[in-house]
Amino acid sequence: MPPKLPHHPNLRLAVMSLARVRRCITIPSPQPSFNRVIRRALTISSSCPPKHRPSRALDEYVAKPARPISLRQLIFFGSRNLDEKRILDSANYVRTELPTRIAHRIRDMEKLPYVVITNPHLSYVYDMYYEAFDTLRKIPNVKTMEDNIMFCEIVREALKEHSTVIPRLAMGVLESRGHLPAETLDRFMNTLLRSRISRRVIAEQHLSLTDTFLNPTHFSSRHRDPNDFVGEVFLRVSASSVIKRVGAYIQSVILQLHPTIPAVPEIKLEGHLDTTFPYILSHLEYIIGELLRNSIEATVIHHHKSTLASENASITTTPEHMPPVTVLICNAPRHIIFRFSDVGGGIPESEKSDLWSFAKSHRNRERLDSFKRIPKMYATLQELGTEEKESGVLAPKAKEEVRKEASLHGLTYRPPELKLGMGLPMSRVYAEYWGGSLSQTTMEGYGTDVFLQVEKLGNRLEQLNIDAL
Amino acid sequence: MLLRHAIPRRICARSLPPALTPWISPFNHPRIQRRGAATEGGFGATEPATATQNDLDFSPKDDIVSLAEKELHKLSLNDLIRFGRPPLPAQALLKSARFTREALPIRLSRRIVALRNLPYIIVSNPHISSIFENYQHSLRTILSFPRNHPTTLAEELDFTELLTTIVQTHQNTIPTLARGFLECRRYTTPIEVTTFLDQHLRERIGTRLMAEQHIALHLASTKSPDKLDSENLTNLVNDSYIGCIDTALQPAKIIQSCASFVGDICELRYGVRPQIKIDGDPDVTFPYIPVHLEYILTELLKNAFRATVESGSTTPVYITIAKNPYREGISMRIRDCGGGIAPENLENIWSYSFTTFDEDEGRNDDVLGRFNDAAGGADGSTIAGLGYGLPLSRAYAEYFGGSLTLQTSYGWGTDVYLKLKGVDVGAL
Repeated sequence: MPPKLPHHPNLRLAVMSLARVRRCITIPSPQPSFNRVIRRALTISSSCPPKHRPSRALDEYVAKPARPISLRQLIFFGSRNLDEKRILDSANYVRTELPTRIAHRIRDMEKLPYVVITNPHLSYVYDMYYEAFDTLRKIPNVKTMEDNIMFCEIVREALKEHSTVIPRLAMGVLESRGHLPAETLDRFMNTLLRSRISRRVIAEQHLSLTDTFLNPTHFSSRHRDPNDFVGEVFLRVSASSVIKRVGAYIQSVILQLHPTIPAVPEIKLEGHLDTTFPYILSHLEYIIGELLRNSIEATVIHHHKSTLASENASITTTPEHMPPVTVLICNAPRHIIFRFSDVGGGIPESEKSDLWSFAKSHRNRERLDSFKRIPKMYATLQELGTEEKESGVLAPKAKEEVRKEASLHGLTYRPPELKLGMGLPMSRVYAEYWGGSLSQTTMEGYGTDVFLQVEKLGNRLEQLNIDAL
Repeated sequence: MLLRHAIPRRICARSLPPALTPWISPFNHPRIQRRGAATEGGFGATEPATATQNDLDFSPKDDIVSLAEKELHKLSLNDLIRFGRPPLPAQALLKSARFTREALPIRLSRRIVALRNLPYIIVSNPHISSIFENYQHSLRTILSFPRNHPTTLAEELDFTELLTTIVQTHQNTIPTLARGFLECRRYTTPIEVTTFLDQHLRERIGTRLMAEQHIALHLASTKSPDKLDSENLTNLVNDSYIGCIDTALQPAKIIQSCASFVGDICELRYGVRPQIKIDGDPDVTFPYIPVHLEYILTELLKNAFRATVESGSTTPVYITIAKNPYREGISMRIRDCGGGIAPENLENIWSYSFTTFDEDEGRNDDVLGRFNDAAGGADGSTIAGLGYGLPLSRAYAEYFGGSLTLQTSYGWGTDVYLKLKGVDVGAL
């Protein structure tokens, strides 16, 4: 049901242009075939390069610096005396930041070689970004709550549209391996992803704050204690609860994938179990989901291999006993450190160089195929719920909460058989976003240790820039 | 100190060309002044040796610079085993001796060049200058042995004794250098010192190993223990050894012995002995040099035990051994619950640090005391408390293509990962 068209001419234009974009890529239910989706998408970007646009407007925004914020600032801004003025301030911050940040990335893309940008996937992303930029920059100053509601609607629509960006970017990068060195492609991908996270964080935070302000009674239905949340930031993330919750989900996923195993590896927690800290929950769940997925799957596969060759293996494990994945939670003065230790056989030397890369060199064909099969990435939200019910594995989040970070949620709770091969580099982008880190050490033939470090105090700014492209 | 200076001077007077004259005390050394060899950089390296006072058999080209410029033969584990399994036949033993005779001067020259390129104020420190003179003395000594020799077993015996003398001369290089750099810390930066020491100590590993390998092969191949160390003899004639290499080295055994040794120190100092637990593949063996592994493990266990005791933890130190399925080698992880390393210290753990010492001169006795203990102790405990353990262990680990890395969880504990490559002895 399209929103009522606003009176303000610019806003009206904005909503209309968004609707036009949506029509081009709306997918008829129930299950789109990939070809149809691509054909539609290609009406935006045809097989020839993206539409030429005069760059004056873009130049203006590229010249502006982005204003990164810290988690603490996010929390502080939204936690006390939320009144109309603050909401409007927040709206105008978002209103100017979004086009600025997206302009920087558009310019990055424009500086890539011609042949790379004319790749249909990257061309599609470029066009999407430009449309979004055009729409967002034309939004006038938000002066009243009514303006803000309309503004929120535009932003919400934009977020939904862009849930297809990650797989398209990944596919485009994989296909461009011949034109640019892998390091350049990786840097490009990292910068784009970081910027994307940053835009979504500030946008979703604003949407959340507006929601809180307008619907304070909503809390009880969300099962959230209002004191624990400031927008999307959960003030008291319990490290052990997240690991247990996500871990249980991953275990069920692995069982689905390997139905013949006698038992799924246990997840053992140790360390400072009552650690809590403020963070954006969806980010943490995604990272931990990826890391646990890797560890548990490696353990299952390695154990399976060694039981098959049990007469040769010097590691003696009975078929019933699979080594657990041990997770250490360490509460350091300025950080929270998670250590994931598995006995999954380690990572061979030959695969190590590709581990953190989006532009991998082997198994590309399978990865590209997998990306094309992520229905959740393309579908509108109505389909998301159906998907979950059909797959039989219920993601732990309630449906309304899915609304905001649809694409991240879709990634975290994707069908188990989809091997995208970018769990590690993506997790690292998320980890480093607030100034954390992700690193890994492997012992070939034994297992792997992964160290995730997040800032506890929340006073690190968003890490928007890596090296200049 | 007088004694140390006396030896080189005597040899100087007898047979030394100006190219090899020590430069340290130009005013005390009339030779240099007379020949005007104190040009840029001193040392007369730009002047080829003249025909005078030269009863040594070496060509004019063998001065230090041209020696140092020759390609450094990086010692690989394969080099050490290529002469065969002991007992070696005479020809193989002579080949090994000649290989050493050819390669060692290059290495010694490189060290001399590196030392003399340090600032004057550092090299004139008596400790540093004594090490400097040791290197020069050793170079002269080995150059005094004719090239393309030994060709007989009698010559080979002489040569091996010469090597033994050289090895013994350089026994205490590290504590002496450390003391010298400590005294000069005002005149240099930590980075300068770390850069020099890293290079120096890494090359020293290779140089020592080259000499010790030949000595070991000699001992295993000849039936005469002679004046050489009989303690090592039993090890060396063991079947699995090729010189310094044990082709069937079992890391678990070394861990046990190091843990017992370090545990003793702990009990002495703290009254507590932390426990260890070995898991993974305790039975794995691989070809490696036992003394190197012992040194590394002692240092790592010292760190782990000290952290465990000082944090009051009762959790044992877990050591995981894994055999690399893709190539010859092992990985080891030493995991302690000793509280971890604070972020502000983390950057410094890999530098050859001496900044932990008190600046106050009044604490000199304590400092000297540490050095005296250091110099007196045997094997790995010689550099206790000097902060050299980690960087030096890494130098040993990396020498044959391995690695030593560390991950810490501040507030809980530390994980140290040691990876070592072995050599394929199946070819023998």
